[in-house]
Amino acid sequence: MTNHWIDIKNSNAVLIMGSNAAEHHPISFKWVLRARDNGAMVIHVDPKFSRTSARCDLHVPLRSGTDIAFLGGMLLYILEKNLYQKDYVTEYTNASFILGKDYGFKDGLFSGFDPQKHVYDRKKWDFARDDKGVSLRDKTLKDPRCVFQVLKKHYARYTPDMVSKVTGVSKQNLLTVYETFGATGKPDKAGTMMYALGWTQHTVGVQNIRLACMIQLLLGNIGVAGGGINALRGEPNVQGSTDHALLWHILPGYMPAPLASQQTLADYNTATTPKTNDPLSMNWWQNGPKYTVSLLKGWFGDAATKDNDFGYAWTPKIEPGEEYSNMFMFDRLYKKQMKGAIFFGHNPAQSMPNTNKIRKSLANLEWMVMGEVHKTETTDFWRGPGVDPKKVDTEVFLLPSCHRGEKGGTTTNSGRWQMWHYKGIEPMGLSKSMGAIYTELFHAVRDLYAKEGGAFPDPILNTDLPRQYDPEQTAMKVNGWFTRDCEVNGKKFKKGDQVPSFAFLTADGSTTSLCWLYSGGYPEVGKNLSKRRDHSQTPMQAKIGLFPNFSWCWPVNRRIIYNRAGVDVHGKPFNPELPVVAWDGKDWAGDVIDGGGPPMAQGGKYPFIMLTEGMSQIFGPGRVDGPLPEHYEPAETPLTKNPFSSQMNNPIIRWIMSDMDKFAKHGDPRYPIVLTTYSLTEHWLSGTDSRNIEVLLEAEPQLYVEMSHELAKEKGIQNGDVVEIESIRGKVQAVAMVTVRVVPFKIMGKTVHLIGMPFAFGWTTPGVGDSTNRLTPTVGDPNCYIPEYKASLVNIRKATKVTELER
Amino acid sequence: MPKSFLIDTSRCIACRGCQIACKEWKNHPAVHTKQTGTHQNPPDLGPYNFKLVRFKEYKMKNRVEWLFFPEQCRHCLEPGCKAGADAILEGAIIKDPATGAVIYTDLTKKFTPQQAEDVRAMCPYNVPRWDTKEGKLTKCDMCIDRVQAGMVPACVKTCCTGTMSFGERDAMLKLGAERLAEVKKTFPKAQLLDPEDVSVIYLVTEERKLYHDFAEGRAPMPVPGMNRQEFLAKLVKPVRPLIG
Amino acid sequence: MNVSRRGFIKLLGAGTACYGLSRLGLDVKPALAYATSLKTAGSKEVLSICPYCSCGCNIIMSVRDGQLISSEGDPDYPVSEGSLCPKGAAFRALHVNKHRITKPLYRAPGATDWVEKDWDFMLSTIALRIKTARDRDFKTKNDKGQAVNRLDTVFSVGSALMDNEECAVTVQALRGLGIYQIDHQARV
Repeated sequence: MTNHWIDIKNSNAVLIMGSNAAEHHPISFKWVLRARDNGAMVIHVDPKFSRTSARCDLHVPLRSGTDIAFLGGMLLYILEKNLYQKDYVTEYTNASFILGKDYGFKDGLFSGFDPQKHVYDRKKWDFARDDKGVSLRDKTLKDPRCVFQVLKKHYARYTPDMVSKVTGVSKQNLLTVYETFGATGKPDKAGTMMYALGWTQHTVGVQNIRLACMIQLLLGNIGVAGGGINALRGEPNVQGSTDHALLWHILPGYMPAPLASQQTLADYNTATTPKTNDPLSMNWWQNGPKYTVSLLKGWFGDAATKDNDFGYAWTPKIEPGEEYSNMFMFDRLYKKQMKGAIFFGHNPAQSMPNTNKIRKSLANLEWMVMGEVHKTETTDFWRGPGVDPKKVDTEVFLLPSCHRGEKGGTTTNSGRWQMWHYKGIEPMGLSKSMGAIYTELFHAVRDLYAKEGGAFPDPILNTDLPRQYDPEQTAMKVNGWFTRDCEVNGKKFKKGDQVPSFAFLTADGSTTSLCWLYSGGYPEVGKNLSKRRDHSQTPMQAKIGLFPNFSWCWPVNRRIIYNRAGVDVHGKPFNPELPVVAWDGKDWAGDVIDGGGPPMAQGGKYPFIMLTEGMSQIFGPGRVDGPLPEHYEPAETPLTKNPFSSQMNNPIIRWIMSDMDKFAKHGDPRYPIVLTTYSLTEHWLSGTDSRNIEVLLEAEPQLYVEMSHELAKEKGIQNGDVVEIESIRGKVQAVAMVTVRVVPFKIMGKTVHLIGMPFAFGWTTPGVGDSTNRLTPTVGDPNCYIPEYKASLVNIRKATKVTELER
Repeated sequence: MPKSFLIDTSRCIACRGCQIACKEWKNHPAVHTKQTGTHQNPPDLGPYNFKLVRFKEYKMKNRVEWLFFPEQCRHCLEPGCKAGADAILEGAIIKDPATGAVIYTDLTKKFTPQQAEDVRAMCPYNVPRWDTKEGKLTKCDMCIDRVQAGMVPACVKTCCTGTMSFGERDAMLKLGAERLAEVKKTFPKAQLLDPEDVSVIYLVTEERKLYHDFAEGRAPMPVPGMNRQEFLAKLVKPVRPLIG
Repeated sequence: MNVSRRGFIKLLGAGTACYGLSRLGLDVKPALAYATSLKTAGSKEVLSICPYCSCGCNIIMSVRDGQLISSEGDPDYPVSEGSLCPKGAAFRALHVNKHRITKPLYRAPGATDWVEKDWDFMLSTIALRIKTARDRDFKTKNDKGQAVNRLDTVFSVGSALMDNEECAVTVQALRGLGIYQIDHQARV
């Protein structure tokens, strides 16, 4: 979230799209309804009418996978009706930047496309630059090659007629939403967008969100109270686990993972540290080397020295251009290239797409280590439906992990608040915290290497990890400390002092920090800010519900990021009624200002300090699949032609090929129905926790499929019947829920049915049904490889024999 | 001053936090359920389900209305069930004067199943349920233990949208009137259900009969043709020997 | 059946309560006062956080004699103001749960069931498996002769359930071992 949960109340218009907020984040609706109480219009754009829609002013059903068409139409409407916030757009975004001569777009493809490799040469999308390398700009926005004009041209095709035909949304509904949300382009109005997996789980997921950001930038809704682009995070600490980089492609704090081509720390720094010659751009990432060295010092302690590149050589290097995302890792496993796996708190046999393939591939492991609270479809795959345990040679280690109330530590909420939770009871039985398990496991391996030696033992032996897992001590280390007496930014520190904030991290080895973003959360010994429970705030802060003294928030306790864009160049808030920050002539009041220093008109810097140019990117040359979002059909589509271009799917998709990865044809008559999958309030994701809580299972006991009365009639299905849903990859049984909340769509003049299913039910809980993901395809967004769970093709019929739902 | 609830269904998202919080506070075991084509589960109130969110959906002039009704005992100001029970065994059902909570005591164990059924029939909202395992009559007790300790009932505490409020009766009546005036701007048919008669006041946005079979209330005569006096006399009969 | 619901309640209020009893010649007794005790009485309150979505609702655990008696939302958390969704409301049931795994379990190749083992066996055997795979498959150089120092045949998935501190030690341990194929729920 750029903003935070409470801030939703400050909105004048709330667009919930790609999220079922009331069902999956019920607490968010406390704040949505407060916005509504204050007069905000609340709109839900989603394929089905849900408990969210029930409490909105307007529900707009749209065909799953057509968000770019819908939002592209909104962007066009905003430009045509001059609803954008002009000063914001010219001063704070790259709308005025002039594009270089190589940029082009034709029939669904951007310039630089390599049809053999299915990649773009992104250099073709660069801006025209002066001799110092600074981008050329036309602040009148009139130059035909400036971003603003290119934008206009690109989205000219997204007319209400066209969008209506592709999305299935009535023109009247389109215009109501466009007008309502477009009205927040006034400087003193704000609209928020709340999204979740309904936007990410598409082959165009990243571009869905980019287009939403572009609209928010045009409307001046980023950096203001009641605005922002707000990802409603679905896991208890997915914000924190991403910040700390439980991911192959980054190191903690969003530093890129080292590539094989970056053999030395200097190579790495050169390749990953952006440069600009524009003196007004803060270009915060120029500090990257300080964060990298502090991380290496944290990992390897005294063994990391200037002479050995702080142990950079000990870190694994990945191949440039190679993909290691979970879909690809499991494909490697299926192809028997993997031998061992460690799964902690994760149930891929239930939650990954095409689970028939995942379940089969697990048997290719020599060994598997799991840390879990309950048995799951993954822990017990070797005795799953249709599996003969005697034929599965995988050795399985299941380690009992304790639960939240049985350990202390911090998690980070969706608004980036880092909060401490305390241990209340002892871990049940012999269970242990995952932190303790990992620590002990590491030391068991390390002891073997210390005794026997082995392949390249240096990184293992030099890893500075205490033998006993202590969350308080680790929290201090995450913040970071000084490794020697030194002076930084004119301030003297002693060896062992905590680092006051990441502004004091250095690249010379005098500081450590396991994640620079969190530096400042534990600024002194005994001062763990994540434990703060203080409600005090200034009247200005109280007005927007900021709570700056409750817990702590990264970065540097800034509650609303990009807040420098919420004021004009003189530091005056765009909305004087609900200011986030304001310049009083000498200092900033309100939230912690982004970047520090005076407003722009007084020599201050551009507001988007994390971007090299200091301007937010309406034109985004960094994404692999294009600088401007373009509508492509889902990998499996009921259409035979993309109405927007002759490019049917996202051209950059890297298709995973195996005998178990089949795809329905475009407009496949065997599978004419669109399937979308989702979670539900009473269960949590794949259901491994919640299915074991009997009071929750009582409320939602079995797998169901929601469908329209029209489809049910067509298929001879009655409410409550057990039906069979079939894709080209698998079959699933579910109970039919025939409802007015799902409607057929009229797409390009043809009726398209959509059904929806949760994925929380699995065979380890008897009689509740089994994984919906047996239906879904292994294909995902080419930027991040999140799978396309939200749109695939199936057929449905009444089951002749009930096999999965006897309860 | 007795207490009251205001349940403003215009704010309810049917998250069922109340339904689960009730079970958790009461340590009620789960009951076995099946999916039958609705989110409403378990299908009805029961001895282990004092609170149940009911779901009803309608298509109205191109608009979908999904109506949520977090059902529970209304804690009537003049409870029919208590009237019926008093006729059988005084003290089996009592009304706590401090809170207005209508409480089923363990004396309901002395009821025969038929007597319990007769008392059940006295409830216009069809709320009490016979616990066959324990052999007693059950329903929501307003979390009297919590209320006496200065806390709000578990369902109210957990409610995340402000659907449920609990407090002094005057304050709830005032809040109800204010909310009704506000909600009426969007939903002209909005109304408070029986505010003069019950301690659990629902604010609904549509006609009351659309919510569920007993939202409308009903007359308490299970036997057609029998008048009220005959009915009450029938209730009294079986306990005569006990008293006499 | 023509008595309206509303009329019925009024009717009862007018005197039904007295009807049966007065017929028996008994006085109507004043309603009994009712007294109860709280199930959380005498417990210690400990602050936790809901382990489901990232609303991060703060939860107060009532702990007595080392047992989790009850749990409910913390009214001091400005986001939830003490409320909880149904999953959060079942926080106690998540912990006090007969389905939990309480002992290390081992499944040998080809075995048809789990067997209980102690932590020493598990940690030492797993360490041996990791070391064997690492010593066998560790790659110091890639095809281009560049130093890569990585283990290509072991991967790790999970978990967004971990605390920040747990994530920090996990990433440190994995990358220290040369395991770089790391992913979790951020990508599903």
